Amino acid sequence: MNLQRLGTIVRLELLQRVRSVAWYVLLGIFAVLLLGVTALAFTVFAAAQGFGAGVYSTVVFITLLLAVLVSPTFSGNSINGDRDAATLAPVQVTLASTGEILVGKFLAAWATGLAFAVVALPFLAIATLGGGVSPWTVVVSLVVLIVEIGVISAIGVALSGILARPLFSVATTYLVVSALTIGTLIVFLLVGSSIRTEVTSSYRVADYSGDTVVCTDEWETSTREQPRFDTVWWVLASNPFVILADATPTQFGPEGWPVDLFGQIKLGVRSTQIAPAAEEVYDECAPQVPQSQTAEEVVASTTPSWFVGLGVQIALAAGLMWWAYVRTRTPARTLPPGTRIA
Amino acid sequence: MVALVTTPGIVAHGVRRSFGDVHAVRNVTLEAREGAVTGLVGPNGSGKTTLMLMLASLLAPDAGDLRIGGVDPIAEPALARGILGWMPDALGAWPALTARETITVTGELYGMSREQARGRAAQLLAELGLESLADSPARVLSRGQKQKLGLARALVHNPRVLLLDEPASGLDPQARIDLRVLLRRFAAEGRTVLISSHVLSELEEVIDDAVFLVAGETVSSDRVAAAASRVRTWRIRLADRDATAAVLPVARTLGLDAGVLPTDRRDVLVGFASDADAAQALAALIGAGLPVAEFSAATSMLEHTFLDLREGPARGGTA
Repeated sequence: MNLQRLGTIVRLELLQRVRSVAWYVLLGIFAVLLLGVTALAFTVFAAAQGFGAGVYSTVVFITLLLAVLVSPTFSGNSINGDRDAATLAPVQVTLASTGEILVGKFLAAWATGLAFAVVALPFLAIATLGGGVSPWTVVVSLVVLIVEIGVISAIGVALSGILARPLFSVATTYLVVSALTIGTLIVFLLVGSSIRTEVTSSYRVADYSGDTVVCTDEWETSTREQPRFDTVWWVLASNPFVILADATPTQFGPEGWPVDLFGQIKLGVRSTQIAPAAEEVYDECAPQVPQSQTAEEVVASTTPSWFVGLGVQIALAAGLMWWAYVRTRTPARTLPPGTRIA
Repeated sequence: MVALVTTPGIVAHGVRRSFGDVHAVRNVTLEAREGAVTGLVGPNGSGKTTLMLMLASLLAPDAGDLRIGGVDPIAEPALARGILGWMPDALGAWPALTARETITVTGELYGMSREQARGRAAQLLAELGLESLADSPARVLSRGQKQKLGLARALVHNPRVLLLDEPASGLDPQARIDLRVLLRRFAAEGRTVLISSHVLSELEEVIDDAVFLVAGETVSSDRVAAAASRVRTWRIRLADRDATAAVLPVARTLGLDAGVLPTDRRDVLVGFASDADAAQALAALIGAGLPVAEFSAATSMLEHTFLDLREGPARGGTA
């Protein structure tokens, strides 16, 4: 890996993007969307104290959403598109190695995705004006955002090296990204609801008709089925939005609830880890204060999963990159069906 | 004759490459000398581009050996790439970059510093007559200009071995002459040049040796010699009369049957088996006092050989 040549490839890729009008149009649309989202988030969260945290997390989520939607178009055709335009082989015939070409294209696609994060920066700065945003939240959420954009860029570049047709590889990149974002959610909901166990609830009512409360020994029991999301919660671990929420340290407000969207999603996902009780007892004669954990206790007692999910994503991206490397290596032994070198 | 000991710049031996069921290159054995321009001649689909790709270290052969300046481009592609310049037949240029940037970036990819690459780009732009277009984006260049840009890209690192795939297509006459001068200069500098084309007349003007490729196989020198020695047609034009009037005196002088001599526009066409026969006939015509204004081979040697090879006994032809 020669840094000078790597830098040249990154520069070559970026020069071409920077000179396309479509690119500025997209950034402009993105800025307008963020403006709208920030304004709306301010009205939504304005009631709470330290509402900046809520606005900030909303803007980060929207930035991630848009980056996820846009990145595949910037990376999903970088290799096979060049091959179609006959500009790949003239680079391969230079001293630039296959690794340098792949990594250079990946870094360029990543930088392109990060431009969207840069556009979001002023809005994030405005959000912090609302107060209540901890520096740790800022640091961790931005790092996760940057890494997520990188993972998607890597998947796109790799698929463009694996598949022959640009249209097909862009579509496949969208499918992979959708599988991570929407697919994990669908699997979680469907599988979680289909796995059901019986809960037995027994209850006894006190007889208040007399002068004294009479407790008979008659227990009534009934059974019903309930979904077991605690068996499939880990499916959500590789969801980019869950990773972002789960990784970011949570602050809890005066009522015990998370102050931002990160924390609320984290609480929601973590709660699914807790297995529901198999038996419920309700005894009127021995009333108990229903025990429920506070949000902070739930988060503290459950397992963080973001590093596993991120690990899975990085492993997926790295594996695909390796496959693309094998496919793009020259002198080529086998070519993807239907492709020419030049 | 002085036998010069030269290391061949390009060697291919028993090279084979197929893509699935398509046998693009079946059996190629060739040598291209240093200090010479070697033409690669063959019809469309004969495997010229596939062979070029293998020589350019981009495609691995299924079997056979390749050497570029003594280096195996398959085992040591990085080393081979440093000494070879490849100009593809496909005109791929980064549309948003200017000609100057294209050459500079390519130079940097060959390991030059930015300054070196810039200097080299300026030099090549001047040499190839692209100066006036140096700072316009490649997407506005014409086909011929893109072709020149492709050539500049292949030359940026001053390669010892040049592989040019159809370099003259799309070039105007002046640019072709420039290309010819450039190629002769490379050969004179001791570089190896392998050039493919199916425009035989322009190839003939510049090459020292020719390699014929038919259906993925190089044609043996025996077969080339046999094809070259077969009867070849010459044009004869007399200064003072048209073709119909010229047939009779020409036929009588050469002892041929006037009835079988074809004419084409102002010329009488006569077949000769060899250059020696043709020379004798010319002497006879002049000896007989005929005003010979033109006496020339109707087809170039290369074209003659090429057409004969193609029409010759088909061997292992594909459908």
